[in-house]
Amino acid sequence: MNFTLNTPAGYWNPLLWVIFLIIFAVVGYIIYSRGNPGHKTGEQAKPYLSGNEEPDVEEIRVRASDIYWGFLEALKGYYKVLLAMHTGDIRDYVYWYIGVGTIIILIFLGGL
Amino acid sequence: MGKLTSFKRSLWVFHASGGSCNACDIEIVALLTPRYDVERFGIRLAGSPRHADVLLVTGAIPRDFADKLRRIYEQMPDPKAVVVVGSCGTTGGVFYDSYNIAGPIDEIIPVDVYVPGCPPRPEAIIDGVVKAWLKIERLERKLEGKKEGEKE
Repeated sequence: MNFTLNTPAGYWNPLLWVIFLIIFAVVGYIIYSRGNPGHKTGEQAKPYLSGNEEPDVEEIRVRASDIYWGFLEALKGYYKVLLAMHTGDIRDYVYWYIGVGTIIILIFLGGL
Repeated sequence: MGKLTSFKRSLWVFHASGGSCNACDIEIVALLTPRYDVERFGIRLAGSPRHADVLLVTGAIPRDFADKLRRIYEQMPDPKAVVVVGSCGTTGGVFYDSYNIAGPIDEIIPVDVYVPGCPPRPEAIIDGVVKAWLKIERLERKLEGKKEGEKE
């Protein structure tokens, strides 16, 4: 049985893909097993903060969403309308679906 | 007092003070002055428990500080020893059985050496630290023995 899929850009063979996956997994495991055996985890690996518990990273670091603060602030008026439309109530979305669907059908039927 | 068999490294001490009146702390600082100068033996204060061999604790340890002290102890690398300096940490001292005290310290973390006194003399603190040093050497030999055993 031929598994090879030939395309103009190259070919694809799932058996070859699995063989390469196994090779890379073995190489990865060899690198991992040669790591530092004395590597510490747990409390001894945590930073010393005067004995205080290390806060969750989400509480102390700048989040990716914070990068968009200026963008969201500038488009506040637009987002305000969008957020008001997104009520989270499925019935509101169904009303929109039916309403917009009706308008489209009327347009098609009327030949506008 | 026992005899030190190894000076292969210096002894780094982390000082944690919880609810102390600072008398013990002043005596610890006196150890670093030219009169006692423990640094000539390689004994010095470390800024972080993660770099320390010995934990020096003073004070009666208020309830709010107990979990912090436990965390400081857990952050120290092995082998490690704990020295309690002063009567407050040893027994509770004048704060014994007080509502806001979590100590004595041996009820919070395992203690190896007690240096009683209010405050103890610097010589007594040096004696306590050296006793802790002996214990660390014993623990180190044990750990090294374990490591060699693992290799075989």
